Amino acid sequence: MSLLTVKGLSRHYGPLKAVDDISFSLEEGTILGFIGPNGAGKSTTMRILATLDVPTAGSVLLDGKSVVDAPDQVRPLLGYMPDRYGTYDDMTVLEFLDFFARAYRLKGAERKRRVDSVMEFAGLTPLADKLTVALSKGMKQRVALGRTLLHDPRLLILDEPADGLDPRARIELRELLKALAAQGKAVLISSHILTELSEICDTCAIIEQGRLLATGPVHEVLQRTAGTTPHTDLQLKLHGSGPALEQALQKAERLLLEQPLVKDVSVEGASVRLKVELQPGVAPTPGWSEEAAARLLRVLIAADVPVCSFQPRELDLEDAFMTVTRGKVQ
Amino acid sequence: MSGAATWSERLNPIVVKEVRQGLRTRVFWVFFGLMLLACLVISLVAWATASELGFDGGRPFFIAFYVCLGIVQFFIIPYTAYRSMAREREDETWVLLTLTGLGPRRILRGKLSSFLVQGALYASAAGPFLLFCYYLNGIDLPTILLCVLTGAAWQLFLTSVCVCTATLAEARITRALLHFMLLGTLLWGLMSGIGAVAGFVEGARSLLSDDAFWAAAIGTLWSLVSYAVLLFEAAAARLSLATESYARGPRLAFVVQVAGAVGLFFWGWQRSGSDADVLAVAEVLLCVHLAFVGLFVASDVDGMARRHWAGSPRLDLFKPGALRGFLLTALMVLTVGGIFVALLLSHYDGDVKELRGMLAAPAFVLLYLAAPTVLARLFEHHPSQTPVLVRVFTLGLVMLGSGVPPLVAVLVGAEPDQPALNALNPVVGLINLFRGESGWPAVLLLYGVSAGAVILALSMLFARDARPKDLAAA
Repeated sequence: MSLLTVKGLSRHYGPLKAVDDISFSLEEGTILGFIGPNGAGKSTTMRILATLDVPTAGSVLLDGKSVVDAPDQVRPLLGYMPDRYGTYDDMTVLEFLDFFARAYRLKGAERKRRVDSVMEFAGLTPLADKLTVALSKGMKQRVALGRTLLHDPRLLILDEPADGLDPRARIELRELLKALAAQGKAVLISSHILTELSEICDTCAIIEQGRLLATGPVHEVLQRTAGTTPHTDLQLKLHGSGPALEQALQKAERLLLEQPLVKDVSVEGASVRLKVELQPGVAPTPGWSEEAAARLLRVLIAADVPVCSFQPRELDLEDAFMTVTRGKVQ
Repeated sequence: MSGAATWSERLNPIVVKEVRQGLRTRVFWVFFGLMLLACLVISLVAWATASELGFDGGRPFFIAFYVCLGIVQFFIIPYTAYRSMAREREDETWVLLTLTGLGPRRILRGKLSSFLVQGALYASAAGPFLLFCYYLNGIDLPTILLCVLTGAAWQLFLTSVCVCTATLAEARITRALLHFMLLGTLLWGLMSGIGAVAGFVEGARSLLSDDAFWAAAIGTLWSLVSYAVLLFEAAAARLSLATESYARGPRLAFVVQVAGAVGLFFWGWQRSGSDADVLAVAEVLLCVHLAFVGLFVASDVDGMARRHWAGSPRLDLFKPGALRGFLLTALMVLTVGGIFVALLLSHYDGDVKELRGMLAAPAFVLLYLAAPTVLARLFEHHPSQTPVLVRVFTLGLVMLGSGVPPLVAVLVGAEPDQPALNALNPVVGLINLFRGESGWPAVLLLYGVSAGAVILALSMLFARDARPKDLAAA
């Protein structure tokens, strides 16, 4: 049974459908990336899952308990980190975590042990006596993450945790999240930084205008998207050097530009990059890009162009996102 | 674990946090220092002038010391409480607190307690100076103790007002407006708190032996405590989710407050000689209170969350929803009106002039609650906007109902308080009935219109209080 099951979830504000009939599930030990443009309904969904808002329709079950009907039973099972970290400026890191540990009804030695373990996990031990106002954004974010872990929740809901972080802090966050998933926690994370998500997520859900457009394991979503994207990028390398290579490159460029569907060709050193795009209005069929690549390779080989490598660029979440969404906001 | 450690573990975490944060702020130490400095200067002046002032020297100096404490207790602390609560909402730390399972009541209780602790810290610093006045003569220890306790109750009330206000507004502009209104209220609170204590100190000897003073003091104390509780419950309700049992607390507090007020009044009325005019004034005041608080209770959103449909019956008046809120208010209005009329009739015979007014007062309340309830539902709007719409319509209808009939009367060449035209005027109409200028037909008309409005409102509320379809099927 999935740890989190969302079925037909909707949240309407008058005529505005902030979330419109979305369904997905999340297993323990997996990380689900929640992807969508601003105003897509990510935060609203996350707030409902975190028992902070009430849906207009649909059901959300966390470990079989209804988030709507039994919020008190669900809250101990989840840790929620909003897009604003919510730290108290005039408290030290230790005081802040100790306060929340008290609020989670952890007592005496148990509380101390838990706070120490969270500080160690998040790398906060050296900062224990520092006021949170004096911390960098990355460190504040770690304090906030530490707070969500105090009561050892089974589901973590993180709303844009990587927003505004420098590359180092992002990489460190990524490692922390992977470690949490390895501990068996389910993580639901939303972010605009799709390259980050593609590296840590097992599954993803793409949402736009409140509707779920694609969901499933990342590789499956990418496979599905590959069949639906109307363009693909290819890169080929030629063998040789000096004038012979120059000639071969010019020949390849000319030949490729003569082929239908090839939109753009550029030469960089010994490589040729090209963009293949379907005619406007032509619907992409599964495998069309592989067929096109095979045909181009045949043309080059037949013309005796010394091709030593020929590969399509791998699709990533960014491509999937751009393909599936239409940039519409509500 | 030591006793202190065990005690600390049991303490509300919010108290620990707020006191910790409060003692770290510059505001606390600046005002603590200023208050001590001012008290020190005053005590030096007292020491220097004690022989000149003679036997009553303690009273003016007590008031001076009390002003120093009052500024902090009646202004600085409540305002800090407001800022603290508002910041929790603005910085969204509120949601994090909610998720810990503390619950709105416990969080608010923690906030209030922590500011009472801060007040106690200030009071303990000013305490020796207040006691010093006893040795300057002119003021006795019970008076000093009573003033300090009254100050604590007033501080609790003002702090409750501030914390509740901080939970009211979401929009920035409304928050700014409320902020200014709150500053005005706190200035008024400061002046009335200090003024009341000064007046009491000056006339303490005669007042303490006066029965009327004690009746007024008990009534005031009841008002302060019950309003503080009501505001507290209202704030907790504001901070609860629709799925939580948000209506129970404020409605229960409302019922207890009104029941207590009726009981206290009955006790005071019997001791003061059972005057019919006093009975009429008290009934009208209670009706105004019922109308004001009842408006917030009755203007809830329609229906209730799925989980509330389970368990107790649909018409459990402490469950959320406009239908139950309206019914509860209407029942309270009728009960209070019935009790007061019964009291009147049990002490006086026949058609006393107060009877018509006292019968009409509850009907006016019902009319001006039912009419906006109906009117608001005639306009298409989002369900979450119903409460605001009902309140706006109530304000508009009360203004129109009390302003238009006198204008019409003037336009047709009659007196502004012409009885027939003002039969449904909640101000002039009621005055006419009490004066005996309107007769029984006016009462009957009022009852007819009110009953019609209430029946219409109830039928609309019943229709909109629909059980969710899947639950209905089950």
